[in-house]
Amino acid sequence: MLFNSLHFLVFFPLVVGLYFGLPARWRAPLLLAASYYFYLSWRPIYGLLLAATTLLDYFSGVRMSRLATPAQRRPWLYLSLASNLGTLFVFKYFNFFTEAAVALAGLLHLPLAAPTLALALPVGVSFYTFQSVAYIVDVYQGKLEAEQNLGRFALFVAFWPQLVAGPIERGAQMLPQLRRTYGFDYGRVASGLRLMAWGMFKKVVLADRLAQMVTPIFDHPRQYQGLALLLAVAGFTIQIYTDFSGYTDLARGAARVLGYHLVLNFRQPYFAASVGDFWRRWHMSLSGWFRDYVYIPLGGNRRGPVRRYANLFTVFLLSGLWHGASWTFVAWGALHGLFLVTESLTAPARAALARGLGLAARPRLLHALGIATTLALVAYAWIFFRANSLADAWYISTHLFRGWGALTGHEAALTVARFLLAYPPEAAVTAAAGALLLAVDLRQELPALAARWGRPAAPVRWAGYLALLLAIVFLGFFNSTQFIYFQF
Amino acid sequence: MRKLLLQLLLLLGAVAAVAAATLVPALQRPYLDAFYERFTTPPAASLVLGTSRAAQGIQPAVLRARLGQRFEGPWLNYAFTLYESPYGPAYVASVRRKLRPEARHGLFVVAVDPWALSSNQPRQPGTAPTFPEDNLMIGQLQQVSQKPNLGYLAHFLHQPFYRVLLHDTTSVERLHPDGWLEIVLPPPTTDTALLRQRVARKLVAYHTLVATSHLSAERLASLRQLIALLKPHGQVVVVRLPTGPAMVALENQYQPAFDQLMRQTTTALGVPYLDYLTQPYTTTDGNHLWRGAAHRFSQRLADDIARLPH
Repeated sequence: MLFNSLHFLVFFPLVVGLYFGLPARWRAPLLLAASYYFYLSWRPIYGLLLAATTLLDYFSGVRMSRLATPAQRRPWLYLSLASNLGTLFVFKYFNFFTEAAVALAGLLHLPLAAPTLALALPVGVSFYTFQSVAYIVDVYQGKLEAEQNLGRFALFVAFWPQLVAGPIERGAQMLPQLRRTYGFDYGRVASGLRLMAWGMFKKVVLADRLAQMVTPIFDHPRQYQGLALLLAVAGFTIQIYTDFSGYTDLARGAARVLGYHLVLNFRQPYFAASVGDFWRRWHMSLSGWFRDYVYIPLGGNRRGPVRRYANLFTVFLLSGLWHGASWTFVAWGALHGLFLVTESLTAPARAALARGLGLAARPRLLHALGIATTLALVAYAWIFFRANSLADAWYISTHLFRGWGALTGHEAALTVARFLLAYPPEAAVTAAAGALLLAVDLRQELPALAARWGRPAAPVRWAGYLALLLAIVFLGFFNSTQFIYFQF
Repeated sequence: MRKLLLQLLLLLGAVAAVAAATLVPALQRPYLDAFYERFTTPPAASLVLGTSRAAQGIQPAVLRARLGQRFEGPWLNYAFTLYESPYGPAYVASVRRKLRPEARHGLFVVAVDPWALSSNQPRQPGTAPTFPEDNLMIGQLQQVSQKPNLGYLAHFLHQPFYRVLLHDTTSVERLHPDGWLEIVLPPPTTDTALLRQRVARKLVAYHTLVATSHLSAERLASLRQLIALLKPHGQVVVVRLPTGPAMVALENQYQPAFDQLMRQTTTALGVPYLDYLTQPYTTTDGNHLWRGAAHRFSQRLADDIARLPH
């Protein structure tokens, strides 16, 4: 079920109405039933997979909680990890690795034939698997009490607002919330609904509009060069942010309506002044997961600079692979790993250069330069994330700045007009929606600005809500566009 | 809770009122997009089926004018695009929904070409074939004769509602009430450079298809199933439409035995097959008939169908 579908428009009020209408003891079972309905509405058979991994993780957790030493707990940890990561491997990576093995064998002139599996990727499998792995590792390490209630644990894994695309929650954050009951609270529910409306605006007005502009170019990049490719890359940079953060706002807003707090996943990432800073603001629940369950166990920054850089690079390679079983995602992860290692290695030289150029005395300018450079690097890396193949990504990379010399003003205007769906009012709609996004992000980024703007009077606020809803209805694209991160 | 419910009721009521006051009259206008009206008309007794070649190349109004005495109406061009409506289970199911169940003397023009019977999905031995259109408009839209068609408006309208209000007249597409999709372009002879550009772009796309596609046994089975479905409701005529010379060459290179396959299939099913592939008609892009050519071709098709034995 998509958040931007008619189905959800019926599902959500029904679940919320029943949730607050039922006695407290029935609310958790209702949420669990709703979560499984939400998931089964996609492909019912994969509900069994979700249930099976949930049961195995639950019993592994319970068993570990009754064993005194790590050595005794270890078999249960391995069993659970094998089940979770094995599921992920079979459904997501099997074909990718067998194809790679066959290609490698071909290069070495070795005869190798490997089967391929015709399995659809279960929606959200990367998210709920990582959430379960975090839980089981925390229980193994004694950082978290194992959940003894099967229903509550199943709800922790399957909680519908965040089931298919996160945020990836931790047991210590989520399970205590699931043990409490929440009554109706006007401020909380209204705030959740506002967040949902804003998320929906970002998705249907901005992300899906940009998708219409960007998709034809990324699908046939060889028909374009220069300005058109640059517009597509810039468009996708905004599209992926508004798509994923829009989904996250919808998920967090829906959970908030029901009384639950999901972790923050985005903190104005395009205002980051370094790539390291970007990763502290983008998909924060995934970055945190990789930090705690891969980077630190690999030794983090405790084993010297060489090992630290190797660990950083490995984490980002794996992060790329987590996004998709394709060389384009691996390249995207590798690029970010490379950016981070380079950023770290060149930090003293860059600081010296800034001092030499007198920029150190002008911190605002230096910060703005950092933001611009980071945005350019991140946008460049998105080419590899979005392109349909490595060859396409390479073509786009090498043709971004071609043909500019021969471009006349008239041709440039025509290219921009065609990009904006060849419909003049689109320019105004896209610019206005983009300006609103920028204003909201600026307000959140700069507390001083937020304080200066203050809270508008009630009539202004309500006019704003009405305008936001009308914008969603009249300016939004509703042609069933899936959220980008649903595919992971 | 009551306070919030009241506020939401007022807010959503205001949105609904604005939407109703503006969209209801706008949706009464004759043209919304390239597909919508086909899903708002009542079930049809005579249908034109196929992909964009048939959508742009066959005018049901012309067929009706010549053959209206012999075949029952309503008449509708229910052909979409290669992306949406290649022959497959989803299209067969959609046609079943659009077909007037009590029709017994309808005319069904089933347009074929190698592309409409091809698949670019990898062949997986021992697994069920996949059809991408199952997840698209044709596969997903359950109500195909509803006005206004809320399912279509909510999920498949390829433009935001504000453009419906502004009544975009800049589009070159015009969907006629009989389902014929007119592409409002001047005669291609007036701007040959532009035509060459469109032909070249189209050929690039179809060369890619040649490299990635194969004739699909499952799609051929769906075509047979469709003909079997339609036969009890009237006369089925399988037609291969004319197209540009470069496209003819490409099709012959891609599937040289396609014509023979169609003759065998139609003979086995007891329906006529009319092949116009190499007939000289003007196209807008080397693939689709230009609107003037579509009119002349529809007249020719009507004449030929009139000559078929009852």
